[in-house]
Amino acid sequence: MPKIVIDDKELDFNQGQTIIQIAEENGIDIPHFCWHECLSVSGNCRMCLVEVEKIPKLVIACSTIAADGMVVHTQSEKTVKARSAVMEFLLINHPLDCPICDEAGECKLQQYAYSHSVGESRFTEEKNHKKKRVPLGPYVMFDAERCISCSRCIRFCDEIAGEKQLTFVQRGDKVTIVTAPGKQLDNPYSLNVTDICPVGALTNRDFRFKSRVWDMSSTKSICSGCSRGCNIEVWVRNNEILRLTPRHNAEVNSYWMCDNGRLNTFKHVNAENRVDGPYLKREGNLIKTGWDEAIAFAVSELKSFGKDEIAFIGSAFATCEDNYIFAKFAKSAWSAKNIDFLRHVKPGESDKLLVMEDKSPNALGAQLAGIQPGKGGLNFEGIIHAIKEGKIKALYLLEDDLAAIKPEYESALKKLELLIVHSSNFNKTTDIADLILPASTYAEKHGTFVNFDGRVQRIRSAVTTEDFDRSLDGFEQSRLDKFGSPFDKWSSPKKMDARSSWRIIAAMYSALGHKIKHTMSQEVFDEISETIPEFQGLNYSVIGDTGAKIKLKSAETKSIKV
Amino acid sequence: MGILELAIITIVKILIVLTLVLLTVAYLVYFERKISAWIQNRIGPNRVGYLGLLQPFADVLKLLLKEDIVPTVSNHPLHALAPMIALFVAFSTYAVIPMGPTITLFGWQIPLAVADINMGILYVLAITSLGVYAITFAGWSSGSKYSLLGGIRSSAQMISYEISMGFSVGGVVLLASSLRPIAIVEAQSGLMWNAFIQPIGFITFLVAAFAETNRLPFDLPEAEPELVGGYHTEYSSMKFAAFFLAEYANMIISSALIVTLYLGGWQIPFIERLNLPVGLTVALQVGAFCFKLAVLLFFFIWVRWSIPRFRYDQLMSLGWKVMFPLSLLNIIWVAILIMVFKI
Amino acid sequence: MSVKKRKKDFTFLENMYIPEIVKGMALTLKMMFRPKVTMQYPEVRFEPPSSYRGRPVLGQEENGEERCVACGLCSRVCPSLAIEVQAAETTREKERFPEKFEINMLRCIFCGFCEEVCPEEAIIMSKDYELVFDNRADAIYGKEKLLVPVKKLEDRIQFIRKYK
Repeated sequence: MPKIVIDDKELDFNQGQTIIQIAEENGIDIPHFCWHECLSVSGNCRMCLVEVEKIPKLVIACSTIAADGMVVHTQSEKTVKARSAVMEFLLINHPLDCPICDEAGECKLQQYAYSHSVGESRFTEEKNHKKKRVPLGPYVMFDAERCISCSRCIRFCDEIAGEKQLTFVQRGDKVTIVTAPGKQLDNPYSLNVTDICPVGALTNRDFRFKSRVWDMSSTKSICSGCSRGCNIEVWVRNNEILRLTPRHNAEVNSYWMCDNGRLNTFKHVNAENRVDGPYLKREGNLIKTGWDEAIAFAVSELKSFGKDEIAFIGSAFATCEDNYIFAKFAKSAWSAKNIDFLRHVKPGESDKLLVMEDKSPNALGAQLAGIQPGKGGLNFEGIIHAIKEGKIKALYLLEDDLAAIKPEYESALKKLELLIVHSSNFNKTTDIADLILPASTYAEKHGTFVNFDGRVQRIRSAVTTEDFDRSLDGFEQSRLDKFGSPFDKWSSPKKMDARSSWRIIAAMYSALGHKIKHTMSQEVFDEISETIPEFQGLNYSVIGDTGAKIKLKSAETKSIKV
Repeated sequence: MGILELAIITIVKILIVLTLVLLTVAYLVYFERKISAWIQNRIGPNRVGYLGLLQPFADVLKLLLKEDIVPTVSNHPLHALAPMIALFVAFSTYAVIPMGPTITLFGWQIPLAVADINMGILYVLAITSLGVYAITFAGWSSGSKYSLLGGIRSSAQMISYEISMGFSVGGVVLLASSLRPIAIVEAQSGLMWNAFIQPIGFITFLVAAFAETNRLPFDLPEAEPELVGGYHTEYSSMKFAAFFLAEYANMIISSALIVTLYLGGWQIPFIERLNLPVGLTVALQVGAFCFKLAVLLFFFIWVRWSIPRFRYDQLMSLGWKVMFPLSLLNIIWVAILIMVFKI
Repeated sequence: MSVKKRKKDFTFLENMYIPEIVKGMALTLKMMFRPKVTMQYPEVRFEPPSSYRGRPVLGQEENGEERCVACGLCSRVCPSLAIEVQAAETTREKERFPEKFEINMLRCIFCGFCEEVCPEEAIIMSKDYELVFDNRADAIYGKEKLLVPVKKLEDRIQFIRKYK
């Protein structure tokens, strides 16, 4: 294997790798703006200059192919001087508006200004002024003054999103980025440019000025927008989700996520129509009630039906833990056979990059956790049919808004004598329900999702509910969370009175006299890994941040892919 | 003089003395605050009434209106009893202090003391010793560590200093050959004040008096920086006021005792040579007693705002290793005076 | 100051402490006759110098706009977490403005860090030292209480420019 020496360390590499790639792999930091692991090399920022012995001038590490026996210095006097010169050059026209810039705190230019710059400028002329508020598209705002012309966004659109929507125009210090006249930056992945932009030139219009990054906590989680299961971070301040950003996972989503997932999968958590406690229907009106009362109602009502008159419908939006306890409850407490769930597949609504046809995050997980018809039991369509015929009179529905999907389902649900629903928000189905139990959203609980590929990934609670103290179970905390007191307005935000579905069902279980030993979702998952062969050997720490793949039988994979 | 007349006179005297002491206590608090303010270049209370003269009444009113908080873990009967003992001790000691010579009024011989008893000094020592119970009870019954520490400190301190106090008084009693306060005063005619004759005894008694009254520099039982409020941490409202009152009443008692024992009581040296009418002489003498008392009270306050608190070990070593030997030395000195100089 | 002496080196007189006690008592007695320094507060008011750090206020320009751009640096630097800022977008030249700006005066310790860190000279320590409220909610000062015309703060602004 060829060898290269970087900063006195002898390293092996594969033929064809560039210096910066080798350095990156071996944990040596070479500052860079325009280079990105997943994008082509452009080499225009000049920040990654390094000294290579026997080459008279400094070379850029991002485009220099390593050769056997090369000796590279990244910290020599010459390179340090060159970097500070590049920084001084980039800062000539970069405005000093960090205080009002959303990127501040996670800005590459800002970080490098501290670590690689002398902190002074010899440039006494006035800075170049450009347009500061250019809406490039429906979601992205462009500040031309802040742009350092690294071209990452242009290359992203060309190479990853596959739509050539951005380009440089003009030259010298007038250079700027535009879309074609009459066109917009509107590809389904447009917001990724705000993540890769090393400065605050491209910002998320949805998140703009909402919070400083240091005031938020970030929690590692999984996007619930489709069965891809993109890894994300949930950014929370004052118990309110303000934005989602993609988290690197080479096996799933690389560095990216789609705009739909980023913008539309968290708003229901903060929404006004959250179910704020258990509701009972009495004489046609929904009345808020207590947990104990609601659970007692559910148990006593369910008891009045025969086992073939009850159906249990799980959910592809709930976690494996929720579905597992739900299936166990249905099978062992009610000897039910009519168990299934609905797959939210929208044929044709997928693309080559990330978006999948299955619009729910955990269809495979629900199936594996045991949400399948028992021997001689009815499947989903069968259950709907039986309801219409009046054979099934009671339905226990987990976290799924069936009524909104088809009018057919809605009219079927209306025929039921008893409908118990777990739901996080009020919707068409809850309007019909006899008992609504408030379920936590994916951002309020711990659990696992299994993506289309059979990868088990963890979601973590980022927002606190009344039932769940956010200081427990390794909650990510912002500075304000850590030091606030109950007398501070900001640290006593509105908390939802919602619980993880498995906890609600466990309470019913114990109301029936069974003993449920689980207190944390972790323990439920441990039971899953003991009882379900596909999950064997897994636990929360094995899954970790990037997930673990389970062994799938090919039949199951096919049934999921439809 | 029949028993009825004696009773009437005594009751009248008790009422007068009680009123005087209470008023003095009230204004002593006022002057304590004023003098401390002056020493610290401040003005002191000046808002309630002219020059703040009504301040003591405002204070009392405030204390009366406060909520009486009794800790649940306290021993309730003792907790209530302690301030009563403190007050009882403070006021009953005053019974034997003579404020002037015996006067003749409506044909009755009236000594200007509530009770002219022939073992008055013993009575004073006996009653003041009871004061330690008030503080110890208060400290123990409160059920608080600070109070307990304060109470323990207080009992140790008072017992230690009572010894040198007792021995100092011994010198005085030897010289006067009597335990009767009036006799002791009369024995100090002219300039034969005990303060001059036995200065060591005077100093030891003075220091012991400071320690007995828990005044700075000997206020360890209520040392705020260490014990919050010492034995009265858990007291509030009128019970606290009772301790407060007792402390100042004790100050007056101690001053009056020092005046009686060492500063010639009501006597003005050589006043008999002026041949003033009897009434005027008596009035002047009572005035002289009050003046001496006032000077001593000022001294008490002045010391409080000048000298910092002792450390506990310093307090104990001073009591046992300095004051105790000195008071013994004083007895020997008095004995020599009596044996050799025949006074 | 004299050289510190060990207790073992004390002479007999020094060991008795009596001269020192007399000296101390003399000093306190002397002090009683010095002029008094007390200020009769409600009638006589203390007029603080420009170096005084009273309650923090927000500078308001003559056209009624706040100087603050809601950057949140004051909030970040505040050691007692007294400041809460919520930014929003405007069409003005400075594109941000504080939609909400609250200082919890119960938390504020008047350290002046917010003033020091402010890039816009927007948050200024005023000379106001009279802060009274009778419940926790009143102690949270919103924009309406914090905004003060810049003209009234000229004194302090000059001071900051000189020493910041």
